[in-house]
Amino acid sequence: MRQYILKRALYSVLILFFVSLLIFGLGRVLPGDPIQNALMTSRMGPVNAEVIQDMKAQFGLDKPLHVQYFVWIMNFIQGEWGTSIATGERVLPMFLHRLPITLELFAGSVLWSCIIGFPLGIISALRRNSWLDTSLTTGAIIGVSIPVFWEGIVMIYLFAVILHIFPPSGYVPFSESVKGNLLSVAMPTFIMGTQGAGLLSRYIRSSLLEVLGQDYIRTAYAKGLRVKAVILRHAMKPAMIPVVTVFGLAWGYVVAGSFIVEYMFAIPGLGRMGVNAVFSNDFPVIQATLIMVAVNILVVNLIVDLLYGYLDPRVRVQR
Amino acid sequence: MNAHRHSYTIDASLPGPRSNAWTAFFTLMKHKVALAGLVILLGLLFMAVFAPVLAPSDPNEQDLYHVLEGPSLKHLLGTDDVGRDLLSRVIFGSRATLLMGALSTFFSAVIGVLIGLVAGYKGGIVDMVVMRITDTFMCVPALVLMLVIVSALGPGMQSIVLSITILSWTWFARIVRGQVMLVRELPYVEAANALGASGFRIMFKHLLPNVMAPIIVTATIALGGNIMLESAVSFLGLGVQQPTSSWGNELRIGYSYLEVVPLFSLAPGLMITLAVLAFNFIGDGLRDALDPRLRSSLGIRGNGYGRAGGTNAVVK
Amino acid sequence: MLLQVRNLSTYFLADNGVVKAVDDISYDLEEGETLSIVGESGCGKTVSALSLLRLIPDPPGKIVNGKIIFEGRDLLTLSEDEICDIRGNRMAMIFQEPMTSLNPVLTIGHQVMEPLMLHKGMNRKEALKECIELLKGMQIPDARTMVGAYPHQFSGGMRQRVMVSMGLSCNPRLIIADEPTTALDVTIQAELLDLMKKLTRDHFTALIIITHNLGIVARYADKVIVMYAGRIVEKALTRELYRSPLHPYTIGLMESVPRLDQDIKQKLRPIEGQPPDLAYLPSGCSFHPRCRRAMERCRRESPTLREVSDNHEAACWIYE
Repeated sequence: MRQYILKRALYSVLILFFVSLLIFGLGRVLPGDPIQNALMTSRMGPVNAEVIQDMKAQFGLDKPLHVQYFVWIMNFIQGEWGTSIATGERVLPMFLHRLPITLELFAGSVLWSCIIGFPLGIISALRRNSWLDTSLTTGAIIGVSIPVFWEGIVMIYLFAVILHIFPPSGYVPFSESVKGNLLSVAMPTFIMGTQGAGLLSRYIRSSLLEVLGQDYIRTAYAKGLRVKAVILRHAMKPAMIPVVTVFGLAWGYVVAGSFIVEYMFAIPGLGRMGVNAVFSNDFPVIQATLIMVAVNILVVNLIVDLLYGYLDPRVRVQR
Repeated sequence: MNAHRHSYTIDASLPGPRSNAWTAFFTLMKHKVALAGLVILLGLLFMAVFAPVLAPSDPNEQDLYHVLEGPSLKHLLGTDDVGRDLLSRVIFGSRATLLMGALSTFFSAVIGVLIGLVAGYKGGIVDMVVMRITDTFMCVPALVLMLVIVSALGPGMQSIVLSITILSWTWFARIVRGQVMLVRELPYVEAANALGASGFRIMFKHLLPNVMAPIIVTATIALGGNIMLESAVSFLGLGVQQPTSSWGNELRIGYSYLEVVPLFSLAPGLMITLAVLAFNFIGDGLRDALDPRLRSSLGIRGNGYGRAGGTNAVVK
Repeated sequence: MLLQVRNLSTYFLADNGVVKAVDDISYDLEEGETLSIVGESGCGKTVSALSLLRLIPDPPGKIVNGKIIFEGRDLLTLSEDEICDIRGNRMAMIFQEPMTSLNPVLTIGHQVMEPLMLHKGMNRKEALKECIELLKGMQIPDARTMVGAYPHQFSGGMRQRVMVSMGLSCNPRLIIADEPTTALDVTIQAELLDLMKKLTRDHFTALIIITHNLGIVARYADKVIVMYAGRIVEKALTRELYRSPLHPYTIGLMESVPRLDQDIKQKLRPIEGQPPDLAYLPSGCSFHPRCRRAMERCRRESPTLREVSDNHEAACWIYE
């Protein structure tokens, strides 16, 4: 088990290294090099070649690429994330300031995914091949494939423009008003969680069906257990083990969704920061966003792996 | 992150695509959801091909005296912010959207399949490098990376197709590689090896036909995903340039007038959703039809303990 | 009389028609008696056993006719709750596959304790104590720590011992063992069966052993039922059956396995042909296409079970 954790963790670090290489490469390839950017922020007039050479030396850009990479990555690890070109702010505080908002959205989305996905998947499996199952399964495909922005527009139109239940956009901090906060995140998190819900319910259905066909379910019935006890005590646990891995997949949807949803709903989180950075060619912010998203996804996948190992006694308890 | 999670594998014993093409076709026809998808898709294709005939007016003709109007007899869906007929723009929009989706899927499939074939067949260092690259791409959301690339290349159809291709070949590579690793152990491939067939010949003559089924399924689902990506990028303002219409573009402009003329954004959004749904429905049906292992795990067969609770009373 | 099975028929509704997995079988079992049901795979012996506990997956299976009188009550007319109170309590079943019949994510202790808490109303502590005793009784080493272990930490033989202790836990009046040792090594088979036989004898528990192994029948069973294509073709006391098998199928079965008391020069004779597809049974006697003594009549009419000698019945036209 310990070896397994170590292996997964090391692999994540390796992939993170590749991601950083990719982003470093992007920084060199994309138009608008750091010098230009720095000059733009300092709003200096026209400059001559000598000044540029000076600045190159100052930024370490006259050194070979691998040295540049090393300096860059060491700075990043130490929290030197640079300065936003668009706003002139330090990127790290910018990031930390927006982090809680996005984390709240993430938590809300996962909650929605589970609240919707679990019961629907279980009902679908228990009523297999009925009309209810068919409609739920179809609903799950629709849930997985519905574009986030379209769902957002329809929901804003229905619940904000017509029914006035939820605000059409904006974010109310939790500290300001609990009710206002919940109302402002209800729709965005629902939209971010829809795809995860569809995914979850599909996997739960198929996993539960597979378990219900196993010999040990017959054994449980032969002991005299009632249907409810068989499903709750004997079928649910083994059925949920493979479902854990779907969280990794669903998480990807949630993270990707946050960029569009925060933009649509004008929520001042990391997603909106990232999209705005792209529009304004704000590379320091873009690179921080990309790296942190990768870290986020890798960490969640690592947790999923560990959870999987923990839940399944065949992995947890070595013989 | 893990190969076994993000891709699905099928039995090596899967019959070749040609031998069961008809069976697959009939299974697909019985799959109601897939059939619905197919009907939607044919409708959309019809719309794209016959756009000039179907559209009531020129999609680019502006009428500044009638901007942002609701539905009327003259403009069935109303007009946009510069007085163009929305219905015509939605009909013509299908062309750009479907074309970009199809092109990017085609290019990423070709590249991904080639790389996957080589990685799966050669194994070793080539395989290792390819897998690390695909793993790397997997943990950076496609949308963000695509925004970065498109904004760097400048908006437009070429850069959208190019950036989607750069991002989605990995899906094909992964799946093909996994399948090839299963198939290459089959006796007849080993026999071909032993007879001294060239690697090129083995890959294209023996391995490729055997992995066609999962490629087709992946391509169908990727088409839906790529249309969604393209629309999302257009929605965020980096799509094809005016006056060309694409659904994502219409959606973006319409979104700002949601409270005035809701159809301006709802109509193109619905079209995008229909297109994505159609491909996912068909993909779902194809997977059931082409992949027996997945079908059984989804429980179409099974022993019925789940439902009856295992009790039988005599029926007389 | 502990168990009376009367005209039991269990059918499966398949795409290609009705499969008569068990067709009109009847038999009796006394307290403490051991009955063996023998036959090739697919002859309906497992389905007949599952039918007793109403464990036939439905759909596609259905018990279409018959009576199962157990301890004076017809099981087929009981409510869901009532049959649950009998399962694992008065009548228990041990399955063929020890590797897959135990829940992989629950501890051994949990699984053995479950029927005790369910049927005997024990609390956790009492159940745990009883569970350890049961495991010790099945000669599982280090039972006290093993209750916390998971099935994958056990070998096949040990798992089957756990299954048996689970079956015995509530001291049932009848235990049905479906090929209990088929999946195990030959050396472990006898050990486990001897142990099972001893425990059932101690508690005067009746036993139904389902097997295709005639050696097991000879050693453990008081009486035997031979099944072919969903029907009983011969019914006899064990000794009687071995001394003078009547049905050509039974004779064929005996000639197809080596016996220690046999002349070495005598050749083994396999039964020609394949067991029939239950969805497409031959006309008349289902066995006639493979029977060496088939007559014209066998092709047309299906024979019924009739008493040929004392306590010995066969379904064959030769004895008409």
